[in-house]
Amino acid sequence: MSEPLTLDLLDSDGAIREALDEGMQGTRSELFRKAIVGGGTFLAGGLLIGGLPKVALGAPSAAQDAEILNFALLLEYLESEFYVRAVAGGALSGDVLAFATVVRDHELAHVDFLQTALGSSAIAKPTFDFKGTTANQTSFIATSIVLEDTGVAAYNGQGPRLRKQTLGAAASIVSVEARHAAWIRHLAAAPAYPNAPADYPAPAVLDPALSKAQVEAAVGATGFITG
Amino acid sequence: MPDTLSLDVIDADGAIRETAAAAAGDTRARFLAKAGLLGGGLVGSSALLGLNPATAGAQGKSDIAILNFALTLEYLEAAFYTEAESMGALDGELALFAEVVGAHERAHVKALKAALGSNAVARPRFNFRGTTESASGFAATAQVLEDTGVAAYAGQAPRVKSTAILKAALAIHTVEARHASWIRDINDAPPAPAVFDSPLSMRAVLAAVADTRFIVPARRRRRRRPRRDTPPAPRFTG
Repeated sequence: MSEPLTLDLLDSDGAIREALDEGMQGTRSELFRKAIVGGGTFLAGGLLIGGLPKVALGAPSAAQDAEILNFALLLEYLESEFYVRAVAGGALSGDVLAFATVVRDHELAHVDFLQTALGSSAIAKPTFDFKGTTANQTSFIATSIVLEDTGVAAYNGQGPRLRKQTLGAAASIVSVEARHAAWIRHLAAAPAYPNAPADYPAPAVLDPALSKAQVEAAVGATGFITG
Repeated sequence: MPDTLSLDVIDADGAIRETAAAAAGDTRARFLAKAGLLGGGLVGSSALLGLNPATAGAQGKSDIAILNFALTLEYLEAAFYTEAESMGALDGELALFAEVVGAHERAHVKALKAALGSNAVARPRFNFRGTTESASGFAATAQVLEDTGVAAYAGQAPRVKSTAILKAALAIHTVEARHASWIRDINDAPPAPAVFDSPLSMRAVLAAVADTRFIVPARRRRRRRPRRDTPPAPRFTG
């Protein structure tokens, strides 16, 4: 793991603080943690995709933040485990191995950050079966593109449902996921881009947002989460 | 033209900043306020987004100021890529990057202008100081512009009040991050250099942009006067 993460690191020039209610007291990381944990008690237990409580279209709240951050944590568990196994498996080389190593460390750090933010409300890490996709470079690349693009769309879908102070943290994660997506897309298809524009690092003018149900269905269809 | 370009390098001793402030004859804050970037005088009609003013729900002057801030950055990026393409100094993947990303930025401009309607700020005048005239200058500058765009959207997202505008901003934000990663990989720079991308406040972004001197003061209107100081071109008589 590269570095311990706190909201202070994310807010080096005070942009997140600008959004915080001036009346609030305490350190920012305390505020963040309180906000997340405050409404999180209903989430106790190891919930999996499909088992998360529905708080559909509710107004932003501490409880809803916790639900969304657990959803994000699940995706980060999935991504980090995928890269851990791919790097350890020895099937990758060159630029693709360098990509997988850096991104593995990023996703592990995102997991750590979300677990810390959620405290005792954090869901447990599921078990995974990547169906052989980490065992050769071609399937690794194809799977990585799907996971990273889905991560971007998932965060973008949840952003408007978060309270502002939590959105600031999520915004600092989602652009890193987008960087990952563009990076692996570049490695996969440059310079020929046989399926342009669909295989460009930035394939569209606007990135799509996916609802939680859509992401759950997509992840469920992979069969990667086994328990 | 230095090979590598960063905003710090451009104005290492602050001289450019002082010059720019003096040229504007004003403090930077007032300059920016005049430019409409701080929301002054822009409340007007409740212009909205959704990508037209009727559906956006911009809530007051802060959302309009944020949209105009984003629009100014997109004007800058779009003009940079359009000029770079027309200069013809790019080839290979750099040329493709400029073509694809330029089209994205022009579309972002169009979307933000549509959202703002009559509240949209005018397109500034630009001078890219030679950075569009060489592949190395272009590549280094594109990286700085895209990284700054990512940080700017991240800084503003939590401040947006309208849900429709926030959705649009988030959808643009990650596209800017893809651009940044793409040009970084072309440049052999780390595409994703940190675990978290740091946001920048509006003030910090505007200061960085001012330091580039890429945005230049509007042309002064001059009285039309026939030019008498240059002799007429010789007539072709042959």
